[in-house]
Order: sequence, then structure tokens, then C-alpha cells
Amino acid sequence: MPTCKQCKKFFPLEDNPNKGDCVQRVIDPRQTYYKAKSVDAESDAAKCSEFEKK
Amino acid sequence: MGVTAETVKELEQKQEWWWAAEKKRSKRLDYLRKAMWKKGAIGGLYPAGLYIDLERPVLQTEKAKELESSPDPYVIKFAKMLAHVLDNKTIFITDHSQLVGYLGSHPNMITWDPTLAAILNHEVVNDPTAIPQPVEENLKIISEVVSYWGGKSDLDKILPHMDLDDSMKVLSGAIGWGVPLSRGGYSGKDYEYIMTGVRAFEDVIAELDRRIDEADARAHEPGATREICDLYDKMNMWEAMKITLEAGIRHARRYARLARIIAENFETDTERRVELLQIAETCERVPAKPARTLQESLQYDLFIQLFSRNEAIEGAWPARPDYYHGPYYEQEVNIDKTLTEQEALDLTGEFLIRAAEVSQYKPKWSREGLQGIEGTWVWTLGGVNKDGSDACNGMTIALLQAARLVRVANPTFAFRWHPKVKDEVMREIFECIRQGLGYPSMRNDPILIANAMNWHGHPIEEARTWAHQACMSPSPCTKHGFQPMRMANATANCAKIIEYVFTSGFDNIVNMQIGAETPLAEAFTSYEQFFDAWVTQMKTIFSILVRPVNRARMLAPKMTPRPFLSAISERSVESGLDVCDPSISRGNAWITAFTWVENADSLAAVKKLVFDEKKYTMADLTGALAANWEGKEEMRLDFVKNAPKWGNDDDYVDSIMLDCLHEAARFSRELKCPSGNNWPILPENVSGNIHYANIVGALPNGRRLGDALYDGGISPGPGLDKKGPTAVLKSCSKIDHISDGRAFLLNQRLSPIQLAGEKGYQLWKSYMKTWADLGLDHVQFNCVSDETLRSAQRDPEKYQEVIVRVAGYSAHFVDISRKTQDNIIQRTVQGLA
Repeated sequence: MPTCKQCKKFFPLEDNPNKGDCVQRVIDPRQTYYKAKSVDAESDAAKCSEFEKK
Repeated sequence: MGVTAETVKELEQKQEWWWAAEKKRSKRLDYLRKAMWKKGAIGGLYPAGLYIDLERPVLQTEKAKELESSPDPYVIKFAKMLAHVLDNKTIFITDHSQLVGYLGSHPNMITWDPTLAAILNHEVVNDPTAIPQPVEENLKIISEVVSYWGGKSDLDKILPHMDLDDSMKVLSGAIGWGVPLSRGGYSGKDYEYIMTGVRAFEDVIAELDRRIDEADARAHEPGATREICDLYDKMNMWEAMKITLEAGIRHARRYARLARIIAENFETDTERRVELLQIAETCERVPAKPARTLQESLQYDLFIQLFSRNEAIEGAWPARPDYYHGPYYEQEVNIDKTLTEQEALDLTGEFLIRAAEVSQYKPKWSREGLQGIEGTWVWTLGGVNKDGSDACNGMTIALLQAARLVRVANPTFAFRWHPKVKDEVMREIFECIRQGLGYPSMRNDPILIANAMNWHGHPIEEARTWAHQACMSPSPCTKHGFQPMRMANATANCAKIIEYVFTSGFDNIVNMQIGAETPLAEAFTSYEQFFDAWVTQMKTIFSILVRPVNRARMLAPKMTPRPFLSAISERSVESGLDVCDPSISRGNAWITAFTWVENADSLAAVKKLVFDEKKYTMADLTGALAANWEGKEEMRLDFVKNAPKWGNDDDYVDSIMLDCLHEAARFSRELKCPSGNNWPILPENVSGNIHYANIVGALPNGRRLGDALYDGGISPGPGLDKKGPTAVLKSCSKIDHISDGRAFLLNQRLSPIQLAGEKGYQLWKSYMKTWADLGLDHVQFNCVSDETLRSAQRDPEKYQEVIVRVAGYSAHFVDISRKTQDNIIQRTVQGLA
């Protein structure tokens, strides 16, 4: 089972590697931006369409 | 700039200011302005592409469930819920931006707070155009959230403690607007405590720790007193405040971390990488520590505004940005020269854009009443310092220039004019008005400072710090003077006063007895009897609206607390009491008087045609109104054309206006807020004149059910001011703008052709001198030609950026209803001589 920590988009917290940010590039009809969502390192990423193995 | 000066000049000559602005602004501002998702509702519905954000309600609900078995008191649970959202919500950084922060998870998302009111939550369920895809799946999420908060939301909690009769009359929507919630109106801020650069969040946290330690020690000393019992609550309140401040610091550092991640892993452009690292440094600094630079100061302010809106729906944005950011501008641009004027302009323009993006899901009646905008973000510029000296600075000019470049309809500005304002500032203001922004509105500072002292007893040094609470009302930004909650249901639909005189208080639209049961109108044999009934209806309506607000204000500290707003307020940090506790507030309440002038015109028509000339009987008139003037067109036109109308310097009707205001002012001193202060009236309208068109019945001024009401405040009815701008000003000057009410909105339309060039400026300046000499407190201008507005109606796609002043706010012309558009076009264009 792939987990968030195995993904290129996962950036662990320095003081707590069990947690981190999933950072993605988004292009919407008006603007382009980077977004970050708090995630657990061990979260199941099997159904994540954004998963990219490191 | 990318284009030749001639091209810009040509566009300016054609008065196509919006296209000229596009070419004049920097590439960064151009990108950010076009990247902005406009949030104002059109016809009460959110525009295509905007969706309700479900992330926040899910986070709130999961935390609330987790805390159900916790022994924490509610205020701490609430603070933890807020912290949970700030720690876990999705954040983003837009390309080219230098300032960060947004309420929603994505730029096109509108945040929904399910903890406020079940009636709001049910609107979400029934708002199919705004539910995100996949609809079926998300409807399940919405249903779970709505079901959980049923009976637990703020309104559900306080309603059983309110008077049911008053509540039903308010909620009928006939006489007032809004619901009495401390987290559902808007709040001023204690800027003198939190925005002067003296302290920031870490300093307040240290103060809270000290107070908690002292209280804890005191609570466990030998003895038992009421004071010790009170300390338990205070310690909880201080703890809750601390939780929110710490969450705010962590939230900002999430942005710092994201900026570093982008800079170090994704960004290839060297300049942008430097900017991202600057964002990171800024967000590591503020709000934890006081700002050192303009960028930090603007970012700090933005965080405070966003945290406050994470805690509550705020339908307005009381602010004084030039006053509080000005020192940083001066230091960096003029003294240290570490920032160029252009760089400062970019930051300032972006600050306006960041504010313009803010959005919170609101009920449909609110969206209809504020067509085209999210709320009344009326920022206060200019004015005086506490010692009475001119407070204008480089930031004042930067804000006025930036507004012309980014041309957002929200925020808008209101300028505190006083005799010491320099010509260079007046010219910048004039350019904004001439270029059709509809703002700044002009406020007479000496009059309004005196007014604040007269009505609410604010000391002069505090009165001089005033900022607009929404469109119009001043309130100081000080410890005891600032206003922590404003609930829109102290907004009166005043045309109902005269309507109810003819129906003995029965409302035929909502089929309820709302007003007083005054005698049948047919029985009145004198104007004095008729006017007495008007006074009774006025007092009844105002009382019905004020009582629930007072009650909710008293319930707020315990039932609907605001730990974050308390944490940035000196009086709460000092006392351990919620910011809404009336005992620590001086009070600054007012009744917004929508649809006010209809009363004067109607009373004058009745006095003249029924009692003076005896052309009609009261029975004739009552029958005609009951029939909505149907079959009585000749009589109706008599009441329109042959009765004197406000705004023409005609003492017959102007003296009636004064009688009405004097009665209201007398009663305003009998109505008291829980702090013991007065409830003066403030005539203005937003777009209530359209919202109420189908709610107000036929009136003696000749208006029929469904016709738009006047555009508000003390503005004459559209097209009824036939004697020119000086006559309008003279009528308005008969009102004592210090003692007859809290403030008085005046809309004026000027001709853009007449305002062209230096001659135009001198004409306007001369008009403003007359306005000031006559002692009016407010005036605002529309300066877009009929031709442009009619073209925009025919071809809206080409005129997306045309802005107009609606009433107390501006909006893009294409975003307001056809009825409101027509109402603006109907306003008399005043020729200045």
C-alpha cells in the first residue's frame, strides 16, 4: 500500500516526520498556485490521483 | 508598463478608465487582478465557478465531535475548533503574490461556517449552483454537517432566550434585516492595541500567561469570594484567547514553510525565489512579532482580518489602513529608501486584491441586499491624529493610486475630510471620483468627531481615531470605544413606519400585526393626529429591532464567545471578559435607517393634499393605498407632482424631515444599549431600496408596491430633486449633522464631461467647499455617464469593469440587478456651476 511519505509531493515536518504537507501545483481558470494540505506520513495514498512515487 | 503613453492617454481621453488602468499597472498587479475570483453574488446567486467550501465545515464538525466528551468549557472547545481549522485547512500561494492568506481551501471557494445558524445551513442544502462536484457525494457531506449542527448552532442556542414575539417580527423580514448574532454581523478592532507596532501575538500571549498565573495563585489563596469564583471563568477565557493566538502563529508559519518548499524545490526563476523567501521571512515574523516593514505590516493586518473571519462571519471591514500602515511606508519609502514608490504601490494594490477576494457564505437576503459585493468593506482614509493634526501620509496617496490601478469594487474608501487636508491629497481623491470608482465617499471629520462625542460620549482623543464600521457609521478604534459586534437586525426598513400608519400596524405583505395598533387612518382629523401615529409606529419598529440586539449582546459572552477578537482587544486581555461583555464597552450602537426619506415626502404629501388643501380625504387616500393606487392614477400623479419633495430647499417638506429626525433623536436617547449608551439613527440604504421594493406597500408619495424605493440616506428621490445641487445641499444642511442622528448618507451624480480637466477639479473643489461650509457629514458621487451605463446594459461583456456607487458601497455595474441599474441611471445628474 503506497503511503503519503513515499510521494514526491510529501514534505515532512522537521520536528515531526510523521506529519507533513502534500504540496501540489494547481492551475485553475484564473490563476496558478501551489497548495499545501496537512497529511499524515502513513496515510493510505492508494486512491490518490496525485500520487507520484519518489 | 509595456504600451506607449499615447495609448493610455487615448483611453483616458475616451474615459475608458478600466482599460487605461490595465495598461498602467505593473505586470504583477495585472496578473493578480485578473487572477482574482470575484465573489459578489449576482441576483442573489454566486457567479459560475464559485463553490461552497466543504473543508472547513468538515474540520469543525470532526473537532466538535471529538470534543463532545471533553470537560472543557464551551469557550475553550470553540477556540480548539478554530485552531483545528487553522492547523489543517489547505493553504495556497498564488504565483506573483507577495501577500498570502485566504479563508477557503482554494481561490474559488466560499467558506461556510455551519456553527452559526441552522437557517443558514439549510440554504446551503438548497443552493444547487454552489455545491461542488460531485454533487451527490458532497450533498451527503453537507447533510451530515447540517444534521450535526441542528440545535447546536449559535442562533439555535440563543433563540430560546429571546422574546419570541420580537424574534418572529424581525425574522419576518418586513421591518428589519439580519439576525442578532455576535458572530454573524461584523466587528471593529482595537487597532490602538494591536496595530501600532508596540505589540504582537507573542507579547499578548506573555501577558495572558502572566494573568493566568496570577489568577491561579489568587484563586487558591485561603478564602472564598465572588471575585475568586469569577476568576475561574476568566482563566478559561484567557486560556481560550491564548489557544487562538498560538494557532494564528502556527498558521502563518505554515505559509512560511510552503513558501520555502516552493523556493527550494520548484521555483526556477531567481527573482521569484527571492520573493518566496521574503514571504517566508514575513510569515515567520508576523503575527508572532511586531512588523518591521510595509510588507510585514500589511501581512500582519491581513492575518488578523482572516483569523477574525475564521471566528465569525464579518459582513464589513472596519479599517484605517493609511493611519496604521503609514509609518512603515514613510520609513521604508521616504526615510530608509529600501522600498521604491512603485514597489510600495504593488504591495498596496495586492493588499486591496487580497481583501477583495475574501468571501463567506451568507444568506440569500443578505446577498440580495448587497448586490455585487461580499460585504461593505469601506476602509477609512485621512482624518486627524489624536492631537488634531493632519493624519494623511504617503500611504494615503498610495492607497488612492492603487485603487485606480486595480479597480476593485470592494474594498472601497471613505475619506475623512478636514480643513488641513493638502491639495495633493484632494487631487488624488478627485481622480478616483472622476475615474468613476464611486469612492472615496467624503466624510466631514470635524462634524463626525463632534457627533461621536455628542451621541456616545467618546472623549475627543478617542473620537479622533474613528473608522467606518460598515458603509457609514463611525466608531473609535480604542480600548473601550471600539465596537465588537454589530448585528444587522438593528437595521430598520423605515418606509414601514408610514405604511403602518395606514394599516394600524398590520403588515399586509407578511400578514402579521407588526406595528402598533394605532387608530384607523380614516379617523384622523388633523395632521397632528396623523403625525402622532407616525411617531408611535416609529418607536414601535425601532424597539422591536433593538430589543433582540440588546438581548443577544448580553447573551454573547457566554453563549457565542469570540476568543480571538478578545485576544486582540486590550479590555478583554486585561479583564478576562469576552470582548462583547457590555461592562467593558462604552457602547457605539446605531439604528441603520433604510428607506427613510419616503417618510418625509409621504407626510408632506398628506399634510398638503389632505389636511391643508383638503383635496382628498384620509378615506380616499387609505383606499387608494390599499388598492396599490390601481384605478387612481390621476390621484397618484397628484401626490407625485403636486406635493413638495425633499431636496429642493423647500421648507414645507424640509421642516417635516426635521420633525421626523427630532422625534427619532429624542427616542434614540430613550433606547439604551446594554452598556447604557444611546441608539441614534443613521439613514442609509446599501441596496435595500431594491430588496424592499416588493416588501413595502403603496405609499402616499405616489410609490406603488414593487417600485424601487429611494436610494437612501437623505438622498432625494431619483429625479425628484429638480432645483440643482445647491438646493440639495441646502435641504440637507437644515439637518444638524451632530445632534439629529449618527450620520446621513447623500448620493450625488455628477457629469464626467463637466469634471474633465483642471476646470473639473476646481468645480468639484468648490462644491466640496460649499458642502463643508454647510456642515454636511457625508457625500458620495457617481460619475459615469448615462451613455456608458446604457451601453453596459446593452453589451455587458464589454463593460465588465465599470464601477458605480450603489449606496454605501460600490459595485461593478454588470453585477447588480437591472432594477438597481435603472435606479442609478434615474438619479439626477447634477450640473455644477
